[in-house]
Amino acid sequence: MDQEIRSYCRSKGFHLHTEARWLGYNEADRSALLEMIREVRPGENHFKDLLDWLDEIALRDGTPIATLLQKELSGVVTDPRLGRNDKLKRLKEELRRLRFPRLAGIEDEIHRRIRNLKLPRGISINVPPGLEGGGVGVKIEATSQEHLRRLAADASRAIDSDEMKQIFTMLDSGTAGT
Amino acid sequence: MKSYRPQEIVVEPGVEESPIYRNVKRAFPDLPFLSSAETGVLTPPDFGAAKRRLFLQRHRGEFLKKCPGSDGQVCCNYFVINFASNCPMDCSYCYLQEYLGSNPALKVFTNVGDLIAEAGEMLEKHRKFFFRIGTGEITDSLALDPYIGFSAEVIPFFAEQPNALLELKTKSDCVDGLLGIDPKERVVVSWSMNPQRVVDADEHDTASLDERIAAAKRCQAAGYKLGFHFDPMVEYDGWEQDYRNMVERLFAAVDFRRVAWISMGVLRTTPALKRAMRSRFPSSRLPTGEQILCPDGKLRYFQPLRVSMYRKMLAWIRAAAPTTFVYLCMESREVWEQVFGFIPACEKELGSRMTESVAL
Repeated sequence: MDQEIRSYCRSKGFHLHTEARWLGYNEADRSALLEMIREVRPGENHFKDLLDWLDEIALRDGTPIATLLQKELSGVVTDPRLGRNDKLKRLKEELRRLRFPRLAGIEDEIHRRIRNLKLPRGISINVPPGLEGGGVGVKIEATSQEHLRRLAADASRAIDSDEMKQIFTMLDSGTAGT
Repeated sequence: MKSYRPQEIVVEPGVEESPIYRNVKRAFPDLPFLSSAETGVLTPPDFGAAKRRLFLQRHRGEFLKKCPGSDGQVCCNYFVINFASNCPMDCSYCYLQEYLGSNPALKVFTNVGDLIAEAGEMLEKHRKFFFRIGTGEITDSLALDPYIGFSAEVIPFFAEQPNALLELKTKSDCVDGLLGIDPKERVVVSWSMNPQRVVDADEHDTASLDERIAAAKRCQAAGYKLGFHFDPMVEYDGWEQDYRNMVERLFAAVDFRRVAWISMGVLRTTPALKRAMRSRFPSSRLPTGEQILCPDGKLRYFQPLRVSMYRKMLAWIRAAAPTTFVYLCMESREVWEQVFGFIPACEKELGSRMTESVAL
């Protein structure tokens, strides 16, 4: 197994530090990482990001990396419908969700409430990555003056909605109001 | 608090007449004093090992600098004097692990006379401006004081300055050298405060919470103004109870009316600092918090979480110290607005508010 790890690292041009870091895990974790690598084949920067998050989750939760990869994340890694790039993208998304559970929960809830606004095409509402800044971005893109008038009226209705109030409450304190 | 004891002292030729050298010689009579010229002693490359070899040398650049703050964050217009570099204590989150990573030598600069002359010249030249000056940017202000006697050299000077306030910021309880000097309202002794659980886990070789509170009480009795920095605030299961208890215990021990200022700041790291922490303190749980990369390149708890932490902490502080000036360290304008309901118009405004809070 270690030979295969070394071969993979050399074939991808990984730094020796990264190779040593991988080889420094216990056998179960090394093996689980190798299985993941065979499916996802990430480059070095992605691999180091994955290792950082896996390490931090393992330290926080007391869950071995092998368990995380084989139980929590195996569905993504082995999904035959996903290509390699999609697997990597989904894996990082799922891992981010495990690494930042409360942040991801708030983001999900905000996005659910944005969807509930049922805004027409031409209006988009965004919150910043990681919710940093605390602001909501609203973009209106109209093709005529009349279209703009209609979109502005729709935006105005959205502004006054309870959903929008809850979005700002969550951005402010992380919890929805009553 | 654990006493500091280096393995050896490395001395630059020509500094033997300085008070700092004499004090260190007196404090460590049994330790080897090596000449840097004769032995060519180098700094150990390892950050932790570097703390065990104390260098005494002259400082050749400027002592007084503007605090760099953090890009795009509200700044408090502070000046720093670097009388030493690196720190005998070893907090797992210490930014010096990154900042001094390539030059980790624990150095004390012996030409205090030059420092005083430089500060005196600037203060004399700009009498219409008021300066808040700290010594705790790249070292702890007091942890080495029992051995080097720096405070006894500089406090009498700052005590006579009409337009400056000196802040000595520490996690130690090394205040004996201060107690016999009259600060004349020109010196604030401040502590970085954390619950004992954080001290035990991540503030290695520092004074305990009880020792810090006891030292603050002694300084207040000796006529010093106090400051407290609840920074870095750490979020963990039960943090609310621990921080609330700490605030209540602190203000049961000291008179809040003689507290110059209180700051709050959550744990901040950078990707490079996290790597250093992982390497030096692999069991520290600090890097496992929900910290995201902010526009200034620092990792902080995501904004709604840290705003919630600040609001709770502010409420506990207000209950115990209702009129004490409280500010945020290295935070964005948005967070200031969310926590306090206002944003200082500029760094001068924040600095002025802090100066007014000391009622000079």
